[in-house]
Formats: sequence, C-alpha cells, structure tokens
Amino acid sequence: MNTYYIKRLVSMIITLWLIITGTFFLMHSVPGSPFNEERRTNEAVQKNLEAYYNLDKPLMVQYGNYLKQLVQGDLGPSIKKSSQTVNDMLGRGFPVSFELGFYTLLVAIISGIILGVIAALRHNGFIDYLAMSIAVIGISVPNFVMATLLIQQLAVNFPIFPVATWQSPKHMVLPILALATGPMAIIARLTRSSMLEVLTQDYIKTAKAKGLSPVKIVFKHALRNALLPVVTVLGSLAASILTGTFVIEKIFAIPGMGKYFVDSINNRDYPVIMGTTIFYSAILIFMLLLVDLAYGFLDPRIKLGKKEAK
Amino acid sequence: MKKLVTILTAVMLAFALAACTANKDAGSEPKKNEGKSGEKTEKVLNWNNGQEPTSFDPPIGFDAVSWNALNNLMEGLTRLDEKHEPQAAIAEKWDVSKDGKTYTFHIRDNAKWSNGDDVTAGDFVFAWKRLLDPNTASSAAFLAYFIEGGEAYNNGEGSADDVKVKAVDDKTFEVTLVSPQAYFLSVITNPCFFPINEKVAKENPNWFAEADSFVANGPYKLSEWNHDSNFVMVKNDKYWDAKNVKIDKINWAMVDDDNTEYQMYTTGELDSSDVPPELAEKLFKDGKVKVEDQAGLYFYRLNVNKAPFNNVNIRKAFAMAINQKQIVDLVTRNQEKPAYGFVSPGFNDANGKDFRKTSGDLVKTDAAKAKELLKKGMEEEGYTTLPEVTLTYSTSDIHKKMAEAVQQMIKENIGVDVKLAGMESNVFTDEQKALNLQFSRSSFLNDYADPINSLENFVTGSPMNRTGWSNAEFDQLIKDAKLEKDEKKRFDMMYKAEKILFDEMPIIPVHFYNQVYLQSDAVTGIVRHPVGYLELKWADKK
Repeated sequence: MNTYYIKRLVSMIITLWLIITGTFFLMHSVPGSPFNEERRTNEAVQKNLEAYYNLDKPLMVQYGNYLKQLVQGDLGPSIKKSSQTVNDMLGRGFPVSFELGFYTLLVAIISGIILGVIAALRHNGFIDYLAMSIAVIGISVPNFVMATLLIQQLAVNFPIFPVATWQSPKHMVLPILALATGPMAIIARLTRSSMLEVLTQDYIKTAKAKGLSPVKIVFKHALRNALLPVVTVLGSLAASILTGTFVIEKIFAIPGMGKYFVDSINNRDYPVIMGTTIFYSAILIFMLLLVDLAYGFLDPRIKLGKKEAK
Repeated sequence: MKKLVTILTAVMLAFALAACTANKDAGSEPKKNEGKSGEKTEKVLNWNNGQEPTSFDPPIGFDAVSWNALNNLMEGLTRLDEKHEPQAAIAEKWDVSKDGKTYTFHIRDNAKWSNGDDVTAGDFVFAWKRLLDPNTASSAAFLAYFIEGGEAYNNGEGSADDVKVKAVDDKTFEVTLVSPQAYFLSVITNPCFFPINEKVAKENPNWFAEADSFVANGPYKLSEWNHDSNFVMVKNDKYWDAKNVKIDKINWAMVDDDNTEYQMYTTGELDSSDVPPELAEKLFKDGKVKVEDQAGLYFYRLNVNKAPFNNVNIRKAFAMAINQKQIVDLVTRNQEKPAYGFVSPGFNDANGKDFRKTSGDLVKTDAAKAKELLKKGMEEEGYTTLPEVTLTYSTSDIHKKMAEAVQQMIKENIGVDVKLAGMESNVFTDEQKALNLQFSRSSFLNDYADPINSLENFVTGSPMNRTGWSNAEFDQLIKDAKLEKDEKKRFDMMYKAEKILFDEMPIIPVHFYNQVYLQSDAVTGIVRHPVGYLELKWADKK
C-alpha cells in the first residue's frame, strides 16, 4: 500500500511539472504582450516595463527563474495589477470560489442522486419522465441563461434575493442555483441509468427474497454500486466548480478566481496564467486521487495496492 | 464497512442540514445591514467601478478603472471645473514667466494629507520625478515629456537631477517646460501628476495597495478596500475644500456585467449604470439615457505601404464610400456624433471658436465622387482589377457589426468586395503596430484637452501612426505648433495640419466617442469630463 502512494505522489509531481513546462512555453509562443495596448505607448516605456518584469531575458532564463521562484511557493507579481502578487489573488479568490463551489456541489449531488434514484425506482412512470425532463432542461439550458432568468424572476420581478455581489448567505442562493442545475442533471441521469442496471442484478433479487425493506435495498445494496460512475465524473466536476466559473462569477459579481483564468490570457498576464493553471491542475490531480480512493471504498474488489503488486 | 456507510450518510445529511440552515440565516442577516446603512443623516452614493482598479499608484493605473476613483481620492495642482476648465486646486495661484516656460505654483497653506501632514512642494517634486523614473515604468510617463529634462530621464539618457522641477520652499513649486504650452494647466489635472506623500511612500513603498495605508489629499479618502469585490470612500475632513463636499460615503461595487449592473440600478442597489446594448433602443426612446461627449475617435487606418492604399485617390475613394451618419444611426445606435475630421469637438481656439466647427468637414460621403476617384487611382497605378482588400478588426460584437456595414457600403458605393477578418485584440494590436494590416479598425482617446494631442499621433514614426504615412510639412507644422507661444498662430498651424492629414487620407474617421449612462434622479452634481475622469467632488443626493 505504501509503495503505491509513493509512486502515485511521484507521478503527480511529474504530471504537474509537465503541465507547468508545457503551459510556460505555449503561453510565451502566443503572439502579443502584456503591455500591448491600443493607446499610445512609447518605446522607452515599453522597454522599462519589459526590463522591470525580466521579460527581456532569454526564455530559458525566465523559465529557470520561474521554477526557482515556484519551488519557494512564490507565484510572482501580477503584471496587470502590479501591486498584487498572484499568491494574494489566488488566496483571496479561491476561498470565495470554493465556498460557492462547495455548496453548489452539495446541492447538485444531493438533489441529483435523489432525482436519479426516484426516477429509476419509478422507471417509465410519470415521476421518471418528470425527473428526466428536469434533468434535460438542466443539461440543455446554459448556466448563464439560468442565471439571467433567476435574476429577472427572483431579484427584479419578485425581489426576494439581491441581484448580485457576495455579501451574505442570501446573496449566495441565486448563483448556487444557477450553477447547480447543470451538474445536478448530469448526476441525476448517471444515477438513474446505473441504478436501473444494478436493480436487475441477482443480489438485489436475493435481498428482496430475504425480505429486506425497500429502503434498505435501495440505500445499502443498490445505490452504493450505482454510485461508481457518478464518483468518476465527480472528480473533474468538483475541480472545475471549486476553482470558479468565469461566467457565473461575472454575472453575479462574485470575487472568486474564475475571472483570472480568462482575463489573464486576454491580458497576457504571464504570472497569473501560470498561477491559475498550476493551481487548477493541482486541485484536479488531487481530486482524481480522491476518486481513486473512493472506488476502493465503494467497491472493495478494487484494491489500489494489490493492483500494483500484480 | 456498514458502519462507514452509516457514518458517510450521516455526514452528508449533516452537510445538507448545514447548507439549509446557512441559507435560512440569509434572511435575517442583511436586515441588520440595512438597518445600519439606513440612517437618514448619512448621504451615501452607490457606484459601480466595473472592475478592480489596476492600481491606485498615481503613475501606474493608467486607465479609467483606476483613475475614476483616484480622481476623487487625490488632487493635483489644478482640477477641472464643471466646464472642464482647469482651476486652482492644491495650488492656490501660480505665476508664469514671460517666455511662458516657467510656472511657479503656490500651494495652499491648508492643503493637507488625510493623515494630517502638509502637502508640500517636495511631495510634487518626489511624485513627478518618480513618474519619469525609468524604474517606475509608468505608461503615463510620456505626458511629463513637456518638462525640461523629462524625456531624457525617462529614456535612461539623463538623470533625475536634470529634470526641471524644484521645491523653492515648502509651499512653492517651480517647473520649467520644454516650450510654452497653453494647455499645461489642463494636462496636470491628470492623476499621474498627483502629489505623493514622500514621508509615507519612503516608509511603505506599497502605501497605495491597501485602504489602511492609503493617504489621500482629495475630497474623499479610502476607508475600505476588499480587492476584486468592493471599496468604500468617505468624506475627507482634512481636504482644504471639505465644506463643499456633500456626500458622506461612496460604496464602489465591481460589477463587470452590463445586465447585472442595469438590474442593480433598477432595484436601487446602484445610483448609476451603463446602458446594456440590448436595451439601448428602448431606453433611448423612453428618454432615460443621458449623453455626454468624450474626446476621442473611432476610425479606420489605411496602410500606405500596402497596395492599393499606396495611392491617395484610392484611399479617398474608400473614405468617401463610407457613410458615417448611417453607421451611427443604424449600427451603433448610441447617439455618437459622426466624424468628418480627426480632432474631437469641444476644444476652443484663440478666438473662442470650436476647433471642429472651424476646421469643418474634411471628408464627405459621396458615392459619385468616390467612383471617379477610384477609377482615377486605378489608372494611375495601372490596375485593371483592384488588389484584394481585407478589413481587419479586433474581435468584438460592435467592431464586427461596424465592419460589416462598411463592407456593405463599399460594395454598394464603389463596387469593391472587401474581405473581413476578426483577430484576438492583443494579436491585432501587435499586427497593427508592425504595419502588417492593410485596412484596420482603430480608436483614439485624448489624454489631454488640446487638438495637438490628436494631431501629433500622425507625425512620422509616432507609436500611434501605424499607417506608414509620412509628410514633412505635417511634421514641421506639429513641431512648430508645440513651440509656438502665440495661440492664434498655433491654432492656424493645427488647422493647416489637419487639412494636410485629410488631403492625404491615411485614415477614415467614423464617429466621435460619447458617454451614455443612466443615473438616478436623486443624484446631482456629478461631472463627466470629455477628457478626464469621473468627478464626484460636487455630487449630492436627495
């Protein structure tokens, strides 16, 4: 078991390093510069700026400097917002995105699983169709449309919730709802199809024959096996939701880190591009590890350590 | 394992309950806040900055998102009044030498920083030299090239000691210019010329990065700054003119979405909003939109190094084929003024007449004349068919729509098929600066209120030229105008220069910019300058 974790850790670090290197050189190969503005810029000023951010040095030197800095945990200063460091920006933005993402996931997972289970149990019945209609709407209506609708209905027409900004729990309701519908629909559909498959298995019949209560059958025997495919998608879903979503954060003026992903690329703000990419990759890699661990828990036949031993 | 499942279920349930209770709490908390801010005695303005300010360091945040706020936190020697003219501010009065090159400013005795320190001449010397310091790497540094020794220091050729700014004593500040500049007093209203409290800056070089270390000398001071979220200004009691400041507190949100901003305006969470494009027509019709000039121009550049635009008659043919009025009425629908010259309206000459009106329309929409000129130009170049023409724009909805309209007009009026190409804006700017584009979308916003600021863009080799166009007579006129002390002569030179520019037509003007916005009727006294930044000093709220 221990060697498995060590191997896993090493491969995680190598993956991260490959991502860092790839992003660094790709980013610098894109035409444009952080100081490229449509307005007048003088050559002398341009040179001063490049020298200030060490962008006048050869690319390999910049790469070496960056890695050195990174090992010390320093992601560097933002070029666009020169008085802020990337560490500050992520340190500020991530907790907000995480809070939004965490509640979103919670709402999506709980309601998705419940919808999926009910639909599977009432297969081809009215409730099944209703639940799946909700799911189809959830998948096909993009979250920014959902957001605009929610604002129009629940903040302007019926002023129950505030339009935007991130101040109190009341401000959180609309963005969470807007963001949760998509993942909820995905989870509901996955749960339903794998539940349907599991429910026809022999051991379910055995359980029924044993006279177990339907609740016990569903939650103890069926759902646990049916959740495997759901857990598989949860890893990447969680990574992307927890690190913020550009559109929803923009619409609701939420000070999360979603905007950094997009703005940094438009501005060619190299340190912020690197910082956000590294951060997102690290979270994604960690989530995939959690998913693998969850497999072992949900299905004892999958033994992580043993695979390696063979 | 059974136990684990039970525990897991329990944990999930607990989370679910926690989430529910968190949302239930939601109902009660804001009420408390409402109670606090609802006190009638306080006048609170709710404003939107759109985004996090780039920087509150005066020479660094060279953009509206920084300076709209900074303009209300700090003050320079002069400040623009309601009529957009520079008036005495931190400087009580000034003397100008006979040759018009040396200005001696007398700083008010009661000019104070928000921490109680005096605003001194030394603070200006420190700030202006810092603006020019190559290590500050300020994009606004070129504005200070008016000062003798400024350009050399910024280029790394000269030294800080050679920059002609001097503290004669604590309250007397002297500056010597390269040449007499009638518009100097207006240029220095720009935030990059604001003083910096030298003592504070030396102790904490990052004084401008957080609210608690920020020292202001303007109508308001910074009381709270949650980066990327919001900031709060309160009235600055130490400001010399504090008795004329009526607003107690300004809440600045950072809402970057047009529609959200508008919705917050309709629910009263904001006192002003931009006009969302989808609703523009309706809001204009309802008479709710306010329109104010902004000095600047939307135009197209023609690259004179690339065929067929090496020929002046072909350039003119394209310019005359475009109908500016139609673009403004049918495409942008934002009530901009169509442009038939380069210098924006609003700048008066020595006789008090508007530059734009006096200079007149230098290009006109005329399909018949355009056809004629195209034929002539093609004959001169020996073309039987015109080389392919591509109009490039930086990708955005409005640029695309306008380019499509231009394409259509050129097709209809002179029968030429123009190809369109959208390009990511950063790459686009690179390509345009490298003179790789043939026919491209452009814009210019004035940095200071004088026609020379617009015209000097087209001298040979200027970083804003980007057309390859060069004209010795034009260059000489601009150079002379910059040195001319006599205002009448100076304006005559600029009139002549603009005429040359349009005789040669390396550009096609489309429309002048404006500022359109919605504003609550309860709010008064807010000034939006055509050149300059948002002015909240005289704001009031019922």
